Order: sequence, then C-alpha cells, then structure tokens
Amino acid sequence: MTNGADVFTIAIRKRPWWFWALAGLWLLFEILLVQTAVASVEEGEYRAATISWIAAFVLAVVAALAWLRGNQAHRPSEQR
Amino acid sequence: MLAALTLESLNPSVDARSPKVRRAASRPFNRSAEDDLRLAEYTPAGRMIDVEEGRNHFGRRALLKAGGFVTASGALGSIWALVSRTGTGGAVRKRARWIKVVDRPTLGEKTAEYKRFSGNDMFALYRPLKIQREGAGSFEAEQASKAKRVAAWASEKKPGYSLPDIQLSEGAWTLEHSTKPGTGLLSWTRISVRTPAELGVLRHTASPEEMASMVKSAARLYGAGLVGIAPMNEAYVNLQAPREDEKEKDKDIVFEDVDVPAVTDARFVIPRKMKWVVAIAIPMDLDLLSRTPTSLGDAATAMGYSHSAFVVASLAEFIRGLGYQAIPCVNDTAQSVPFAVDAGIGELGRLNKLVTPEFGPAVRLCKVLTDLPMACDKPVDFGLVEFCKGCRKCAEACPSRALSFDDEPSFKTKGPWNNSGHKAWFEDSYKCLQYWQKVNSGCGICLASCPYTKGAQAWIHEAVKATASIAPAADGAFRIMDNAFGYGKQHNPEQWWRKDPPSGGRG
Repeated sequence: MTNGADVFTIAIRKRPWWFWALAGLWLLFEILLVQTAVASVEEGEYRAATISWIAAFVLAVVAALAWLRGNQAHRPSEQR
Repeated sequence: MLAALTLESLNPSVDARSPKVRRAASRPFNRSAEDDLRLAEYTPAGRMIDVEEGRNHFGRRALLKAGGFVTASGALGSIWALVSRTGTGGAVRKRARWIKVVDRPTLGEKTAEYKRFSGNDMFALYRPLKIQREGAGSFEAEQASKAKRVAAWASEKKPGYSLPDIQLSEGAWTLEHSTKPGTGLLSWTRISVRTPAELGVLRHTASPEEMASMVKSAARLYGAGLVGIAPMNEAYVNLQAPREDEKEKDKDIVFEDVDVPAVTDARFVIPRKMKWVVAIAIPMDLDLLSRTPTSLGDAATAMGYSHSAFVVASLAEFIRGLGYQAIPCVNDTAQSVPFAVDAGIGELGRLNKLVTPEFGPAVRLCKVLTDLPMACDKPVDFGLVEFCKGCRKCAEACPSRALSFDDEPSFKTKGPWNNSGHKAWFEDSYKCLQYWQKVNSGCGICLASCPYTKGAQAWIHEAVKATASIAPAADGAFRIMDNAFGYGKQHNPEQWWRKDPPSGGRG
C-alpha cells in the first residue's frame, strides 16, 4: 500500500497455488513439532522434546525469513 | 526417488556382528566401572549400542536427508493416521486403518512340525542347563552371589535397587504371586459368580459377532489394552502344567469330551468343546519400563502380570455368569504369543515376542479359554516384519547378546526353550536369564528399546507407525531418527519417585 498525495493504492498480489500448499505444509509441521515437543516432555523424553522445540523454532525462523524476502522482492514501486 | 534415497544412503545396515563395536557415549549412570568389568561378557557395549564405526556411522548429510525424509513422511503419515482411526474389528472395537487384517500371520505361522510344548519354560530349564553347562554347584553359587549383591545394592541405596525400589516391585507382584493355575483367581471353575440357573434364567445367547463384541467390552473394562478372539489350536496348549518346584510331579494337560474343566492331582482336563480363546494384552507402564534393568523396571513387568491375573479372572467369571465355561490363564497352560498373533493383537518381531501396533512389545499377555461361541479375529500386518529386518535395535541394545542379528527369520531354534516348527528370529533365553541374575532383576531392555514402544501422547509416533506400515522404504530413516531423538535410553531411576504416577500404572 503506498501513500500518495491524495490516493491510496492497495496492491493485492495473487499467490500461486503452491504457496498455499507450502504454507499449509509448514503449518502442519509446526503443529506437529510443537505437539511432539510438549508431549515428549510428558513422556519423559527430554532429548526428543529439545530437538522438536529447536526444529519448530528453526522452521518458524526460516518461514519468517522466506516471507520477508518474498515481500521485499515483490514490493510494488511507489506510484503517484 | 524417495525410496532410492532411503535405501541407498539412509539405511544404517548395522552389522552388529562386527568386532568393532564402540561403547556407547555414556555409561549408564547407575552402573560403575567395576560393574562394567564384571558384566563385560554380558554387556560388551553398555546399555545401548547406538553408534558403530565405519560405514555404520551416519554423517551430518545422511542425518539431514533422514530428517527431511522423515519430516515429509511424518506429515503425510500424520494425516493418514489422524483420518484413519475409524477401522473396525480386531483387538479393539476401533483400530487404525493402517493395521491391515490378513488371512495368515506374517511370521510365526506353524508347520506340521509344530508340536505341543512342554510347560517347563525357560525359568524351569535354567537351573538344569546352568548345571549342565557350568558344572554342579554353579547355580547355587550364582544365586548366593546374587543374594549378596541384592543386599549390598539395597544397603548402599543404589539407584533402582534401593529397598523402596525392590519393595515397589515385590508389592506389584503380589497378585501374580498369589495365583496358581487351577486354584484361587485362576480357578478353572466358578469362584463366586451366580450362574443363570441360580438366577432362574436361561444362559445368554446371541450371534457370534455380538458375543465377541460383548466379551471384548468386558475385557476392556476389566483392564485389557487389546483383546482379540482366536480359534482354539490344541498345538499351542502345553503338554504339562508348569511345576512350582522340582519336588512336584508333572501334571499333564489333556483334552477330553467333558462338559466342565477339571483339575485333579494328576492332570488338568480341558473340555474339547472349548473352541475359542480370548487373547488379551495388558500394556506395561512405560515410565517404569524406561528405568529397566532395575527393580523399578521389574515393577512394570509385575504390574502387567498382576493386572493380567485380575483381568482373566474377572473375564472368566463374566463368561461363567453368562452360562458358559471359562479357563483363565496368564503365562500358564498355553503359549500366549501364537494365540495373540492369531487373534490379531500383533505380529511376531525380531525379539521373538509379540509386538503390538499400539504398545509395541511392552505388553504382558494372558488368555481365557472358553466354549462361548464367538466370531474369531484374523491376524494383522502393520509392516513389522519388514521393519524388523532392517532395524536390529533390540538386538543391539540387548546386553546379553541373546537376540538374533540375522537378516531373515528362520526355522533354526537356539535351544530347548524354543518350539520348532515355525519361522522366527529365535532368541538365546539362557544368555538372557543369565543376565537377569547379574542385574538382580528381570531385564526388558529389548522391550524398552523397540521403536514401536512409545507413549500415546505424541501424534508423531502414530504418524511414524502409519507411514512404516505403508512405506517400508522409510524404515531405515525412522530407525536413525529414533536413535537421534534418544528413544530407548534408560531413564534415571531416582527421578521416578519424584513423579506423579498415573492411577493403576499405565504411564
């Protein structure tokens, strides 16, 4: 969205289908990893819990970086 | 592509017969260096042997590949597992769809050579075998040495062997130790239930399917984890009742055309009309089992057997109350594993024990023989035999080297404790029991280390099992990840007392 002199332009970018597929897969992994981490503590499997927490964190960071980079690459030029 | 990736680069192909077996990174915390030396011949590589040299040492690249593959498989498997818990039949009313029902057992199917087995199991065989192999007095010397160690470890409050640890186990054994085939809880005739005749009604009748469903519900209520119905196979029934001590005479177990079971001074009589067997698996407490081999681990076994006695006694009374005959058995009278395989409770695995899809091998088995007509279940296939072919984790973890490392199961038995006439990965029970004497308790490391022995809380376990059942190519990767996640390692016995154990011990 760019702030022009007297108009607002809202850029809506259509994401390809695979983006949503990846996003869904990512969400599934995140849920799975966090659930595994929490459940592993209950099961007394602390190493499994630690690895799961780390994996969930890394996956979240990677997704955030990918998101930011994707947004930067497709940032619309300012219009007047 | 995924299959090729897994098979060529991920499968550890552990050749544990290699002399270059590296000791696990850390010695079990409850064992001193002196203990290690003493147990050296039994524990060549410590509690867990999870890393080997050379080609078996997987690198970072392989680990990353395994991680990626397993994550992808896990995601797909979790979807499959979560949507598939609507299956029917088998050992519980609703079972996951990835547990396929098959016509013949995947392993352990009997040939004509399979014969009724002596009731004198490994516990009865151990003493004469010990004397035969190591000379007169060797057994007594071993027991005396064991008694000294028990006292010493209890005095020094060794973790897992302190007096409270020992007595926790002893307390858990109480019900099992107070049973004897044919008497008390395991009576072959009515204990206290009122029969239909006493109530003034006819005995209960229904279709075999309804009867099976009813019996399963009752068994589940009494505490069974898994229940299945198998047809009677007389070859699975022992020839003799197990002896309590050497002074007792062997009692034959016979089939006769009689109406009610009978126990006399000379023999046990099973009516031929008893054509059905309710096979039951009692889940062990994983929190205790993860502390094996200690008295705490032994308590998990004890709880399993004591629960078994209660479940079969209650179920037998229930069946008698419906107007039929029932014989409750724990480990006695017949072989539990083949009945459980036939009833679809699980498959025979590398440790030559029943492995269930839900609880792995961490179960204790028991059964009720009956003349109550029921619809029988069929064996199951959840990909275990293929998994076991490439896994070997139990065999590597076994400190006494009692389990088979062979690639394929065979007909080759290891001793008089094995019954020939079926294919299996036969175990050396003599070595196994010898190790029991060294650690002053039952062992169960193979049960705890099996990748199928997992708690029910984490969804990922169900996802992995589901994926393994449909994609054997992923088995090697799962095995690597199981080690990487630290599963199967011994937990600290001292910490158990600071936990809040679940009611009835099913943690």
